[in-house]
Amino acid sequence: MRRLFTCIAAICALASGAALMQLKHAVQEQAEEVEAIANQIHADQESLRILKAEWAYLTSPRTLQELSIEFLALMPPSPKQVVGSVTDIPMRHSDEIVSGDTSILLPSANKNSGADAEKSATENNRNQAKSEETT
Amino acid sequence: MATLGAHSINLDLDQTYERRTPLSVARGRLLIGVVLFMAAFVLMSVRTIDLGMSAPLPKRTAERQIVVPPVVFQRSDIVDRNGEVLAVNLQTSSLYANPQEIKNPALVAEQLAGILPGLSRAELEQKLSSKKSFIWIKRKLTPRQKWQVNALGVPALNFRQEEDRLYPHGRLAAHALGYVDVDGNGLAGVEHYFQDRLSEPGRTSEPLVLSLDIRVQYALADELESAMRAHQAVGAAGLVMDVRTGELLALVSMPDFDPNNVRGVSDTQKFNRATKGVYELGSTFKTFTFANALDDGVATLEDGYDATKPLKVSRFLIRDDHPKKRYLKLPEIFAFSSNIGTAQLALDIGGERQQEFMQSIGLLAPSNIELTEVGAPMYPEKWRKASTMTISYGHGIAVSPLQLATGISAVVNGGTFHTPTLLKNTMAWQDGKQVISPATSRQMRQLLRLAVTKGTGGRSNAEGYRVGGKTGTAEKASNGGYARKSLISSFMGVYPMDDPQYAVFALLDEPKGTKETYGFAGGGWVAAPVVKNVILRTAPLLGVLPREEDEGLYQRVALMIEDD
Repeated sequence: MRRLFTCIAAICALASGAALMQLKHAVQEQAEEVEAIANQIHADQESLRILKAEWAYLTSPRTLQELSIEFLALMPPSPKQVVGSVTDIPMRHSDEIVSGDTSILLPSANKNSGADAEKSATENNRNQAKSEETT
Repeated sequence: MATLGAHSINLDLDQTYERRTPLSVARGRLLIGVVLFMAAFVLMSVRTIDLGMSAPLPKRTAERQIVVPPVVFQRSDIVDRNGEVLAVNLQTSSLYANPQEIKNPALVAEQLAGILPGLSRAELEQKLSSKKSFIWIKRKLTPRQKWQVNALGVPALNFRQEEDRLYPHGRLAAHALGYVDVDGNGLAGVEHYFQDRLSEPGRTSEPLVLSLDIRVQYALADELESAMRAHQAVGAAGLVMDVRTGELLALVSMPDFDPNNVRGVSDTQKFNRATKGVYELGSTFKTFTFANALDDGVATLEDGYDATKPLKVSRFLIRDDHPKKRYLKLPEIFAFSSNIGTAQLALDIGGERQQEFMQSIGLLAPSNIELTEVGAPMYPEKWRKASTMTISYGHGIAVSPLQLATGISAVVNGGTFHTPTLLKNTMAWQDGKQVISPATSRQMRQLLRLAVTKGTGGRSNAEGYRVGGKTGTAEKASNGGYARKSLISSFMGVYPMDDPQYAVFALLDEPKGTKETYGFAGGGWVAAPVVKNVILRTAPLLGVLPREEDEGLYQRVALMIEDD
């Protein structure tokens, strides 16, 4: 009887010891994981700074203008195109269908090659700007 | 028996004593042990229950808490008023070597020269074969170069982490931002002025917010650059100021430079024409003379002066660029930019009062702005009668474009002088000092608007934005005289004139006339279109709406201007 009790107690002690070890190990593992995540966050924050700087560089107004001249047919807006409030916009007729054609935004496609198109787009822009100036 | 009994009892007692004593002692000791253990267990269980019932102590966990290491850098970022990054510190690697560990310097030198442009092979080889144990090879490598050097696999080559100041927008706003040396100390612009603030430990994560708007900055720089190219000017300057607060939204000086790489940049490029350059700005100064006269009640808009023939003062002859050869009313003098009329008006004000007024509007002292590159105005020490007359139309006094814009802002915004600033401060409208009355300011707005619609500034009239402004054309002083062919042409524009918000200034240094301008190179021909284009490009960004003009605002004064 007494021996059985001793046995059970010993097993209990061993089991609880093992469980404690296990728990400690798990906690350590978790702590390491948290630390790794913290380091990752730090690294991400650092690369975020770099990406922000790169974003500023890539979206610098000069770059945007050059890209716009190259790929889009957008012109500087004239004051007539600026709408002050919602009430200034006329109602659309209910039977009017708006085409979803977005090619209007792109430079006209009748130019021979890319380089030519680019050049003429730039020239177009300049001419437009000039004619605006003279009016 | 008795004795036996006694003996036996005695013996019995003795025996029991001998049998019992060790047992009872052991039992007694055991009991003490049991009691102690029991007490300990009771204590433990009480503590366990106590721990179980009580709230967990927060401090216990804090000891184990893992914090994200903060990203530290040695210098604050600089951002524009909308938070766009203008200057940022980034980690870079600098390459160094231990020449003692290099076995084949010639080979390593060849490989490195292939990766790092700008380094000569011979020089590298000499460096790498030295006896030292540490040499810098190149500072601040790009990530790609670093990767390539690592790929060489030479153990003697190592990297040290350093910080590099990067200006993502390159040349844009270079003069306002300034630049830093290789160790990150500001040498010009706000980088220099705010050196202590930018490198203050503990504050580096807090960006410095400037009043600049990079979009407006670009519009102005772009327009000035193309005007400069079209008119083959040697330089240009410009600025956009919020007249309500004195904040600068754009500050441009041409030619400019890339603050990312200041090596080999000439002094002309570094020179800030907008704040450090002082110029005789010509007729734009008439605005101040008129504001002064109207505010002091020296003259009213109905008054006028005779401008039939040039005025002779000591050795000067005051002439009109656009002579009308008749009696002119004040609005006419302003719109047609008559020097003769303005000079007479200045005489009525008097030299002393004129000086006082110019002082109050910040024209006689260097601008108080957050830059070290600030030019001191130049004006005669002795304010003679001739000085009074020439200064009234902007000759014989040289001020920086910044001073002029600050002064004009005060004239149009209702008469409040705001110290110009490069820091975002939208509450700055609250402080300022009244220099002219709101009524005078209102009259000046009418005059400035009419100078555009009826006078010399017509080419600045951005449709819908009610621009008002004044042209300025002055001959450059050279060798004690004036060079007739080299001009300083400028235009000072403000919009919208019924509720002034922004002042736009453009100046071209030595512009040449072109076919489009019929050979003219005056402010109205070369600088006014720049202002117009800048307004057309930036007004929608700044939230100024184009709209029909209220003609009634100007009608009374407009009727006084006779076209002929």
